[in-house]
Amino acid sequence: MDDKTALPLARFTILEVNDAKMPLCLRLATSLAAKIAADLGADVLKIEPPGGDPVRRAPPYLPQGESALFQFLNTSKRSLVLDLSSDTGRTTLKALLDKADAVLFEEPAGSAALLRASRATPIEIAAFPVEMNAANRPVSEFAILALGGLLHMVGEPERKPLRLGGHQASYAAGLTAFTGLTAALAARDAGQAAPSVRVSLAEVMQWVNWKAASGADAGGTSPGREGRNSEFQIVPCRDGHVAVVYTVTQWPATRALIGDPRLGDPMFTTRAGRRENITRLYEIITPWFADKTRAEIQKVAQAKGVPFGPIFSPAELLETEQYVSRGFLTEMAHPTLGALRLPQLPVQWNGRSFAPRPAPELPAPELAT
Amino acid sequence: MKALAGVRVLDFGLLTAGANTSAMLADLGADVIKIESGAYLDPFRVVGKPDNDEGWWNRSPQFRFTNRNKRGLALNLKAPEGQRVIRELAAHCDVVVENFRRGVLDRAGLGYKDLSAINPRLVFAAISSQGDTGPERMNVSFGSTLDATSGIASLTGYEGEEPRISGMDVNYPDQIVSLFATGIVITAVMEARRTGKGAFLDFSQREVASFTLGEEIMASSADPVRASGRRGNREEGVAQQDAHRCKDGRWIAVTLDTPDPAIDAFCAGRDSADAVAALLARGIATAPCNDGADLLRDTKLQGVTLVCDERGGLVKGLPYRLDGKGISIERPGPDLGQHTDEVLRELLGYDDAQLKKLADTGVTSTTPTVGEV
Repeated sequence: MDDKTALPLARFTILEVNDAKMPLCLRLATSLAAKIAADLGADVLKIEPPGGDPVRRAPPYLPQGESALFQFLNTSKRSLVLDLSSDTGRTTLKALLDKADAVLFEEPAGSAALLRASRATPIEIAAFPVEMNAANRPVSEFAILALGGLLHMVGEPERKPLRLGGHQASYAAGLTAFTGLTAALAARDAGQAAPSVRVSLAEVMQWVNWKAASGADAGGTSPGREGRNSEFQIVPCRDGHVAVVYTVTQWPATRALIGDPRLGDPMFTTRAGRRENITRLYEIITPWFADKTRAEIQKVAQAKGVPFGPIFSPAELLETEQYVSRGFLTEMAHPTLGALRLPQLPVQWNGRSFAPRPAPELPAPELAT
Repeated sequence: MKALAGVRVLDFGLLTAGANTSAMLADLGADVIKIESGAYLDPFRVVGKPDNDEGWWNRSPQFRFTNRNKRGLALNLKAPEGQRVIRELAAHCDVVVENFRRGVLDRAGLGYKDLSAINPRLVFAAISSQGDTGPERMNVSFGSTLDATSGIASLTGYEGEEPRISGMDVNYPDQIVSLFATGIVITAVMEARRTGKGAFLDFSQREVASFTLGEEIMASSADPVRASGRRGNREEGVAQQDAHRCKDGRWIAVTLDTPDPAIDAFCAGRDSADAVAALLARGIATAPCNDGADLLRDTKLQGVTLVCDERGGLVKGLPYRLDGKGISIERPGPDLGQHTDEVLRELLGYDDAQLKKLADTGVTSTTPTVGEV
């Protein structure tokens, strides 16, 4: 959708209010939600504190020293620096709120009372559920992964638990806040009172990790990290690693793919049997991978309908045929940083993609007039 | 009034990626009618079956968790009569959600081209592994396949060791797809209300998972020799971060702004609750490493994420709260075909004779022909 007027959220005005004192893990969620809306055409104005959003100085960095994190999370937005501790800053903010449809901010931002009282629908990002009454508790994304139970799920049972790569706690909350935002906009659009939206990282992590609660409720014991006891494992191949993944119905095809007659042993016939003899199973199948590349393995596995997953690094994704074909990792011309490649929104709408526009430079502070 | 009141969803969604997207639409007030058949059950009915007794397909906790607040129809998509009924239903719906392998609905004459010809306002969300185009469009995947192919696994693991996936008890990429897809569907519904035109929304689950690594992809593209890979629990820009085992055997997660080589010994010398309290009092971000049983016990931490249905069964709540509230469950996850007659009478005006004919020819059969997935 190259024509800005055709973008689906073009008629909405959204504020993202950044308070320098809020934990970064909350900011990443706020900024991701607003970025998605901005890429979809909403007029998103990012209100930055004097000195700018601290994410401007957060890793990973581009070779020029700029923050790739900031550049990714703030595409297609405009920016304004306001000192919200001053009367002038607050007066300007009030005037902007009067024209906005929604405002995104973090709890407990200093300006929260002002933001909640405006005619713009508040979309709040917090660390913890209201019931915990813990707005001032120290927080990190890592602590949220632990609290929400996701940390417990990855790694070897006898070794320490592992976090997932990336900013998963913040970004899952950011996707949630985006969906909450659209629900509020849809209500406003239909002439109804829009619901206020509150997203906490801790609730989102539990919601994402619902099988832990469901499993504990049904079976009395919680699922947990199984590591080398898991049916799905990572095995080395000639040029990297492959995740061995298959469903019960895909087991016969998997067995045929590996082609080792020992897999016909009755001990491997049922899922329970395979789990009981998992070490033996992997002793048999692991050598099959050793002399094949990821590409070869994916090709022959997919031909049999077996969903093995070759493991790619972020750098390798830039070259994968599927992403190149769909133009998913798009090039964005930045006025000072040159060409940057980044994922565009992961949806095609009637075959069209949403090209992100560069994140705003840090503007000079708003002067009193 | 809820934001999606008056919106009707024809739901072919299966497992999490599809079925949970339509569940989130139901949470916002949409009338979701889920289509399955005896010949094709939502696989959650099978993977979660507690026993093999009669009616096992209606007792799966995973199915019940995900499909509350929907009505359920049994219609065989392979039977021409079943296809005809779906086409009639499409005229009365605003949204289609599906996560079949590409081509399945097209072959049944139920793809976007067919259904939008009947109803041009239709918003059609096709959620697939790789998207609707490209050389890998027909590839199959299952949850953790996408941990691998998206890049997330390459950044997950013990320091310097092999990559890790989230595994079958998490299937992380499936979960986040519905969080994103729901918002895009709502955006397209707004557009359809305004313009009278629907949309074909092509979601690649793998792309959604890679999207969460946007800054890593950007940094790697700008600096091809940039070191990425497994760093255990360490994080760029964070002074020190890891999980530590406490005296009571429990692990806690600790993030430090300034390095402290004594932190491991500090934790080892205290029970986890004491260690967490002491560190929090010092302004350090920390939390116990909870498991599912802990989450069930801690009702304050749960917030609005879990709720009970009218049968007293625990089901999925909301990931956010709207006007400060969670949801109440108006109907539990449907038995297979529970609302077939009700919906066909209500929306299409079918009479007893028409319903009997569909039943007699097996089109609306609720007898599963599969036992394992």
